Amino acid sequence: MIRAKELRTKICSQELKSVDVVKECFSCIKEVDPKVKAFLKLNETNALQQACQVDKKENKKGGLLEGIPIAIKDNIMVKGESMTSASKYLENYVSPYDATVIEKLKEAGAIFVGRTNMDEFAMGGSTETSAYQKTTNPWNIECIPGGSSGGSAAVVSAGMVPFALGSDTGGSIRQPAGFCGIVGYKPSYGLISRYGACALASSFDQIGTFTKNVMDAALLTSVIAGKDYRDPVCQPNEWIDYTNGLNAPDVLKTLKIGIPKQLFDYKTDPEITKYFNEAVNKLKMENVEIVEVNIPAYKYVPALYKVIMCAEVSANIATFDGIRYGYRSPKSVSLNDQYAKSRGESLGYEVKKRILFGTYVLGAKNYHRCYHQAQKVRTLLIDQIAQAYKQCDFIFTPATLQMPVKLGETLPEECDIFLIAANLAGLPGITVPCSFTANSMPMGVHFMGARFSDAKLFAVANAFEKIADFDIDKYPTI
Amino acid sequence: MLKEELETTAFLARIDIKDEEKEKYLKDINSMFEYIEILQEPNVATLKPTTHVTELRNVWREDIVKPCPRETIDQMLNGAPEREGTFYKIKKVIEAQ
Repeated sequence: MIRAKELRTKICSQELKSVDVVKECFSCIKEVDPKVKAFLKLNETNALQQACQVDKKENKKGGLLEGIPIAIKDNIMVKGESMTSASKYLENYVSPYDATVIEKLKEAGAIFVGRTNMDEFAMGGSTETSAYQKTTNPWNIECIPGGSSGGSAAVVSAGMVPFALGSDTGGSIRQPAGFCGIVGYKPSYGLISRYGACALASSFDQIGTFTKNVMDAALLTSVIAGKDYRDPVCQPNEWIDYTNGLNAPDVLKTLKIGIPKQLFDYKTDPEITKYFNEAVNKLKMENVEIVEVNIPAYKYVPALYKVIMCAEVSANIATFDGIRYGYRSPKSVSLNDQYAKSRGESLGYEVKKRILFGTYVLGAKNYHRCYHQAQKVRTLLIDQIAQAYKQCDFIFTPATLQMPVKLGETLPEECDIFLIAANLAGLPGITVPCSFTANSMPMGVHFMGARFSDAKLFAVANAFEKIADFDIDKYPTI
Repeated sequence: MLKEELETTAFLARIDIKDEEKEKYLKDINSMFEYIEILQEPNVATLKPTTHVTELRNVWREDIVKPCPRETIDQMLNGAPEREGTFYKIKKVIEAQ
């Protein structure tokens, strides 16, 4: 699979036909996806029709993504298509309108190939809580792809599509991108509209991208970012072309990279430590200044995330009442009973557990000690990170502290704490693959920037991609 | 959390949980209580709680009524598990005397 930016050039110059690109996608999907199980639904007829229309157009320079296929996580609404969020509750739901990001992709001429698997309502880190199927890691089909956007990570990693959209509430793009050896980007909170995306924890949720390289992430972000009155936290910024200046020379020359002292407090896979140190050395060779930063509040990240996320989950999932859409239990006798049974019968264990814990921490007796206290500790973390950015431009860590586990096994909780910190503080983060470990599995590194440093973040990640030892043209053999 | 408290929480959350699953919920949720304890540790008495991370204040938009296309209304109503005409149908809210 060729990358999106190159595909666009070739489709524009008529060197390639969109319909051939789409056909190649589907032939790869048919060969590979029975083993990876990353797609929940495919759109072959529609996609081919759309591609034919692009090929008929005289001027193909119209949209930034004209004729290029994309996969969408199944929690983002596409008008007239089903959206399940991998839950039985939304099994028969059909989206009545387009999410803002989908409107923008349509305007840009992208072609929708299908919907990717995920953890139910994005609650999980392995894609195993999906009510429909378990997705595997294309590099080793006995292992998890990560999650919650595991399907989107797997389809890009396996070369089924050039890029995909996902959502990231607590590392849900960057962790599976790390596990699958691709680029995963979560923007600054407020850069990309969430209108039409299924909410998990609204103060963390962001839509972001899965791509093979940083250039495509910047290209896709240029299309989907921007102001939107329908998402009130969306920043009213003017349009930016994030691919602009991406290849500027000397990006690394005056750069200061911070490595948190706390990184060494956690048990890390020895191979991850080894290749992370190599990555640090490569940056040093480019004259990057490496400094140690001290953020003691990192140790509160898992607790902070669980308490605040579950509280927001309990509020958001309350809209699933079995009245206006979704599953309704046929067995109920009263209105309250109908709510309880509809939710009880259609939601998975993980979802219900989070709602219950969230309901507890928001309860009148517990609110102050639990939720309110957590939001104060969140301020502490945000303040300490802000202090760290006085010493450095970006914070650099491994993407995950452990390699992906086998399906059915549990990941240690601290595996992705350095990713989750970005959600708690509303910061942009990007994982870039850096090496293959001894057992031929990819691993990645993570750059986290200050708020709205997204353009610079792309430039730095792009510069790192060029010096990393990772062959992005290598695809897994499945 | 004790069984009674789990049942009260489940009622407040309007979630039916099966009797045979209650032990598992209790075990899992009680282990999550550790998070609440961890967050009592730092001294944050002087800090303000985070309410949101954006720099935006008072987000306004023009007060313009945009009609919703008939097609969208129909599609939304079609998503209802039970309806009557253009109404969502639900169980009786007020019981007869």
